[in-house]
Amino acid sequence: MTKNRYYFWLILMNSLINIVNFVPRELIDGRFTGAQASIPLAVAAGTLLTLLFTAVIRKFPGMGVPEIFTATLPKFTVPPLLMVFGLLWCIAGLITLLSFVDITLRFISPDTGPLLVLISFLAVVCFSVRIDSHSLLYTLEMMLGISLPLIVYATIKAVMTPSFCWDSVLQTFTYSLHAPNWHSFLASTFSFSGYINLAIFNRVFQQLKLKPFHFVLVALQGLVVLLLSLFVPIGFFGTAAVEKHIYTWFSTADSIRIETFIIERMLFIFYMAYLTLSLVSIIIHWHVGKELLLSLFPAPKRKAAKARKWQEASILAGFCAAAVILMRLDQYELNTFGVIFLDVRWYGEIALLLLLLYCYAVTRRRSL
Amino acid sequence: MVEQRHKPGVSPEWIQEQLSGFADLEHRKLQASSDEAELLYIKSVTDGQSISQAVIAPFYEMDSGEAYGAYLGGLPGSHTEVDGKQALELMLGGSACIRSGSRIFICELPKAEAGAVRETVTESVSQGPSDALGEDLTVNLNLIRRRYQSAQLKLEMTVIGNISRTKTAILYDESRVDHRVLAELKERLDTLQIDVLQAAGELDKYISGDKVRIFPKTIVTERPDRVVFNLAEGKVAVMLDTAGYAIILPAIFNDFFTAMDDKIHLPVVGRFLKLLRILGVVLTLWLPALYVAFTSYNPEIVRVQIALLIAGSRATVPYPSFVEVLIMLLMMEFLTEASLRLPRAIGPTATTVGGLILGQAATAAGLVGNIMIILVSVVAISNFMIPLNMMSFSIRVLKYFFILAAIATGLVGVVCCLVGFTAYLCSQRSFGQPYFKLFALESAGSGKKGSGEK
Repeated sequence: MTKNRYYFWLILMNSLINIVNFVPRELIDGRFTGAQASIPLAVAAGTLLTLLFTAVIRKFPGMGVPEIFTATLPKFTVPPLLMVFGLLWCIAGLITLLSFVDITLRFISPDTGPLLVLISFLAVVCFSVRIDSHSLLYTLEMMLGISLPLIVYATIKAVMTPSFCWDSVLQTFTYSLHAPNWHSFLASTFSFSGYINLAIFNRVFQQLKLKPFHFVLVALQGLVVLLLSLFVPIGFFGTAAVEKHIYTWFSTADSIRIETFIIERMLFIFYMAYLTLSLVSIIIHWHVGKELLLSLFPAPKRKAAKARKWQEASILAGFCAAAVILMRLDQYELNTFGVIFLDVRWYGEIALLLLLLYCYAVTRRRSL
Repeated sequence: MVEQRHKPGVSPEWIQEQLSGFADLEHRKLQASSDEAELLYIKSVTDGQSISQAVIAPFYEMDSGEAYGAYLGGLPGSHTEVDGKQALELMLGGSACIRSGSRIFICELPKAEAGAVRETVTESVSQGPSDALGEDLTVNLNLIRRRYQSAQLKLEMTVIGNISRTKTAILYDESRVDHRVLAELKERLDTLQIDVLQAAGELDKYISGDKVRIFPKTIVTERPDRVVFNLAEGKVAVMLDTAGYAIILPAIFNDFFTAMDDKIHLPVVGRFLKLLRILGVVLTLWLPALYVAFTSYNPEIVRVQIALLIAGSRATVPYPSFVEVLIMLLMMEFLTEASLRLPRAIGPTATTVGGLILGQAATAAGLVGNIMIILVSVVAISNFMIPLNMMSFSIRVLKYFFILAAIATGLVGVVCCLVGFTAYLCSQRSFGQPYFKLFALESAGSGKKGSGEK
């Protein structure tokens, strides 16, 4: 059966993808107003949420959120709830998608039309979203296997660069005692929300056995990733100038030179690593969103394949249309949109957790 | 002669029970006026002629059962006092078990097909067995049985094809095989309605199920040692009469990159060779696509010296890079195909004309850049590093998808294509087994079936 490590990959994916989803921006904006203090808090809160959510959903082995809801909640509440959560996931994918289209246009191919880039992303994503959850986990693992070494290399290279200014980093640390900042806190918890994909992927995890050690690992990777995503750009651009970049990390990667390789600018290696990872992340998010929305439709009885395909296609068409429409957002609006989503997502996670706890209580009471 | 009591347990019935599921097991009752005898042997590993000359004919010529018993006892390579284990080993090694009266004889009459066996052509290894499966099914069964002497190796026979009536053998190790795979295979073979079946690859096409496939899901091989190795890993082998190749299933992506001489080499060397093959696949898939992406879309990615070098070599080329790539790749495909079809005597002509004259003249005329020629050779050579032909052909086709993606959107397209194909590969199942997985080897090796890989 599916092994525990895939659970960890889901979390790691979200954690790494944070730099595309405007998390470093939020942290850097709060660097004088308490981002440093919010990081440890977010690590604690994120790990706690992960722990709780996993513990609850483990009580429903092999079930996704739609099945759990339909089994326990009153009939009329289920469709709106699923609708809301489905849309949340759709937006999560959308933001990654849109900001990556923007990154591509800005850093890689300014000559290519934005629509062409968007369409080529959408083609891959729509094709892959329809694959079953099991295979998506394999894909995720494969892609992490390709991109993780590159990302680690880029990060190490960044920190080891002689021009990396440790003084700036240390100076930022002097603001550590500032009271934590709510927005930075919300943004940092995004690094941990990979677990929430279990809402659908729990269907393929039959016996998810997690030891305390695993949660230490979750906390540790979150902490490391968050600290790096805040401090590496500061080390490159300085304490003050760092706020002038939208995609801080890509600008950072663009500042690194590889002296001894046929590709000279780190940006391209970093970009390729993140492109694969972002695509997989969009695929996973949209897969969850699609499955949630799909459960709104009545399950076709017989000759299921065809009707199901149409339902899938219509949902995906909706997603794609949303992407094309939101392409009109300019960089500033997209940034605001992303930040708002980071906040809303947190409340959504809490709501889902509470709902599941309630569902668990209901099933317990029924079984007594 | 002292009456020797055979050990309890060893009897033709017992052996027959042990060897149940052997479609090539022959059981005969010999009946003369006063005497009767029983004869049991495995057809594919025993020599039929010797049996009729040394065992059956004397039975009818001898006067009494006792004389026949004495004769059998004196036959070279005949055993009387054996326990069950030995008896099975002897039977699997090519012996006949004869019961005459109350006595049991096990006579070694092995068959070793050597004359009819040809050498491997499509899957050669540097140091290792060079026997290849032939077109005769009994010879092939002999080749397999001699290498896999276990009572667990079951054999089932069916016939496929309304006109061709191709004899088909299904081989598997009962204790290791995944029975769901076996059941699924049998079901698919049963529902198969075709007239003519002549090649193993054809069968692969029929039983894999999907309509559109890019990757092979069964191994088509001509090496008996590969068959044996895979049988030991719990896979099922299907062999056809008159086909010359066996197919092995289920096959996952990784299997296609295992050459049989990986195990001959030292572990480090073996790993290195495997790494080379994977590198070869990466090169053959990506190089042409990246060339298009780097020259037409993102020349700033590579080091400026390299960008200038490429631009310099393309200075005279009158069309965009993708036309250049497609022209040269197609030229290469033509050469590969043509040299396959050409009679052996003219074969070298094609390579000389194609490789030397065309390559030189094309660059001298300024139709393609020098670097393009190097690139095409790398692509062609690294493509054929894949040990199994089916996969090597799939990769050959696949690289055009990457080129098309690169033509459409440059580097972005190449990466998108990579993600898409990874997702596609991961979504594939070969008889219920995930086709493409990271650490696929590790999980296969740690299972109970790992004894084949050592």
